Amino acid sequence: MTRYVIGRLAGVVVILFLVCLFTFVLFFTLQPDPAVMICGKTCTPERIDQIRDVLGLNQPFLTQFFGFLGGIFAGRDYGEGANLVHCAAPCLGYSFQTNQSVMDMVVERLPVSATVAIGAAVLWLIVGIAAGLLSAVKEGTWWDRTAMGLALGGSSIPNYVLALALQYVLVVQLQVLPFPQAVAFSDDPVVWFQSYLMPWIVLATGYACLYARLTRANVIDTLAENFMRTARSKGLSPALTMRRHALRPALTPIATIFGMDFAALLGGALITETVFGLNGVGKMAADSIAKNDQPVIMAVTLLAAFFVVVGNLVVDLVYTRLDPRVRITTP
Amino acid sequence: MSELLVVQDLTVTFPTTRGPVDVVRGVSFAVGRDETVGIVGESGSGKSMTSLAIMGLLPKGATTRGSIRLNGTELLGRPDRELRRLRGDQMSMIFQDPLSSLNPYYTVGLQIEEMYRAHRGGTRKAAREVAIRALGHVGLPEPERRVDYYPHQFSGGQRQRVMIAMALVCEPALLIADEPTTALDVTVQAQILRLLAGLQRESGTGLVFITHDLAVISSIATRVLVMRRGEQVEYGTAEQIFAEPEHEYTRMLLESIPRIDDSLDDPPHGSLIGSPDDEVIL
Repeated sequence: MTRYVIGRLAGVVVILFLVCLFTFVLFFTLQPDPAVMICGKTCTPERIDQIRDVLGLNQPFLTQFFGFLGGIFAGRDYGEGANLVHCAAPCLGYSFQTNQSVMDMVVERLPVSATVAIGAAVLWLIVGIAAGLLSAVKEGTWWDRTAMGLALGGSSIPNYVLALALQYVLVVQLQVLPFPQAVAFSDDPVVWFQSYLMPWIVLATGYACLYARLTRANVIDTLAENFMRTARSKGLSPALTMRRHALRPALTPIATIFGMDFAALLGGALITETVFGLNGVGKMAADSIAKNDQPVIMAVTLLAAFFVVVGNLVVDLVYTRLDPRVRITTP
Repeated sequence: MSELLVVQDLTVTFPTTRGPVDVVRGVSFAVGRDETVGIVGESGSGKSMTSLAIMGLLPKGATTRGSIRLNGTELLGRPDRELRRLRGDQMSMIFQDPLSSLNPYYTVGLQIEEMYRAHRGGTRKAAREVAIRALGHVGLPEPERRVDYYPHQFSGGQRQRVMIAMALVCEPALLIADEPTTALDVTVQAQILRLLAGLQRESGTGLVFITHDLAVISSIATRVLVMRRGEQVEYGTAEQIFAEPEHEYTRMLLESIPRIDDSLDDPPHGSLIGSPDDEVIL
C-alpha cells in the first residue's frame, strides 16, 4: 500500500512536470508577445526589447523553463544590483501585468474558489442524490418523470445563462438578494452567504441534474440485483434492505465521480466566477489568458492539474475502502 | 406424514402489454415435515415463479390465486409486514447463482448475522458466534477466519455453502432450493447435493428442490412435481414417476437423460428437439 502510494505520487510529479513543459511550449509558440501587450500603443522596438529583457523573455527556452522550475523548489532572484528582488520558494514569479507575486495571488484567491466549490458540492450532492433516489424508488410515476425531465433540462442550461437569469430575477426584479459583494465570512456572515448563494446555485444546478440521473440509474440497477432478492428473502425490513443492500452499491460509483468533479472545481470555476465577479482562481485564469500573463497562466494551469491528479489518487485510494472487491496489489 | 406446506390450485398472473399472462396455472402439491419434494421442468416452466410465490417475493404487478398454507396458515393475501416475519425464519430460500445472490460489499458474516438478528435479535457478537457455527456446520474450513471474508474470496461451491448456512441459520421449517447446483462444477454439485440432503435429514426441514435435472431429483426427493409451461404435468411419489410415468412429457424428460451406455450415433430417446417450446409463452 505504501509502495503503491509512493509510486502514484511519483506519477503525480511526472504528470505535473509534463503539464509545465507543455504549457511553457504553448506559451512560446503562441502569440501575442506579452512584451508588446505590456508596451501598449506608444511603443518602440527598443522599449519592447527592454521589457523582454526585464521579463527574461530574451533568454533561451531551457533557461527560462528551468528558471521557473527552480523557482518553485528553491526560490529565485529577479533583477540585478540594487533592483535585486528575491522570491522565496515556492516561487511562481510575478505577474507581467500587475507585478504582484503569483504565489500571493493564488493564496488570496484559492479560498474563494474553494468556498464556491464546497458550497456548490454540498448543494448538488443533497439535491441530486435525494432527487435521484426518490425517482428510482418511484420509478415510472409522475414524480420520476417530472424530476428526470427537469434534470435533463437543467443540465442543458449553460451556466452563464442561468447566472444572468438568476441575477435578473432575484436581484433586479424580486430584490430578495443584494448584488454579490466581496465580503469575508468573519465580517458579515449574512452578506457573505447572500453573495455566495447564487454562484452556488448556478454551479450546483448542472451537477445536481447529472447526479440525479446517475443516482436514479444506479439505484434502479442495484434494486434488480440478485442480492436484493436475497435480502428480501431473509425477511429484513425494507428500510435496512434499502439502506444497507441498495444504497452502498448504488452510491459507490457516484463517490468516485464526485471526487473528480470536486477536484476539478478547486482549480477554479471559470464561467461562474467570471459572471459573478468573484476573485477566484477561475477568474484569475480567464484574466491571465486574456492578457497572456504567462506566470499567472502557468500557476493556474499547474494548480488545476495538481487538483485533478491528486483528486484521482485520493479517489482510487478511497475506492479500495468503499468496494471490498477492489484491492491494491503492487507488482 | 403431516403436511408442512400445502399449495392448492396456485395461479400466478403477470400483466403484459398484450394482456395478463398466467405463468403458473393451477398447480397443487404438498410438502411434509422432514420431506424433500422435487419440482422439475425446463426453463420457463414456472417452477421458480411457484417458489417465489410461496416466499411472497414475486415481482411487482404479479397477482396470485389459489392457496398456499404453511403450517396451516394461509400465506396468500397476507400483508408483506407479516410475511417478512416468516421469511428467513419459518421459510427460507437459496438461489441458483451464489455469487450474485450475496452482496459483494459485505462480509458473509455480516450477511448471516443481519438475518439472524432480524428474527432473533441479540447482540452482534452473539450473532457472529451463530454465524461462525453455521459456517462450520456446512463444512467450511476455518469458519472463525472466513466469517470476515467477502463473497468474492470464496469459490463457487463455498459460496453456495455460505448461502445454505445463511438460509438455515434460523432453523426454518421449510427450505426452498431453486436450482442450487446448476451454476456449479459437476464434482461440486455432488458435494452440495450431499450437504443439502444431509442437513435436511439432520434438521428435519421440509425441502423443496427445484431443478431441471431429473437425475438429481431421483436421488433425494420422495415426491415429484413435473411442470411445463406453467402447468402441472404430473405429481406423485418419486417411485411412481420414475417407474411408470403417466404423462408423455415426463417420459420424454426421463428418456432425455443421457446414459453412459448410449451410443452417440443413436438419436436421443423420444427426441425433445423442437418440441417443448414451439410457441412462445410471453
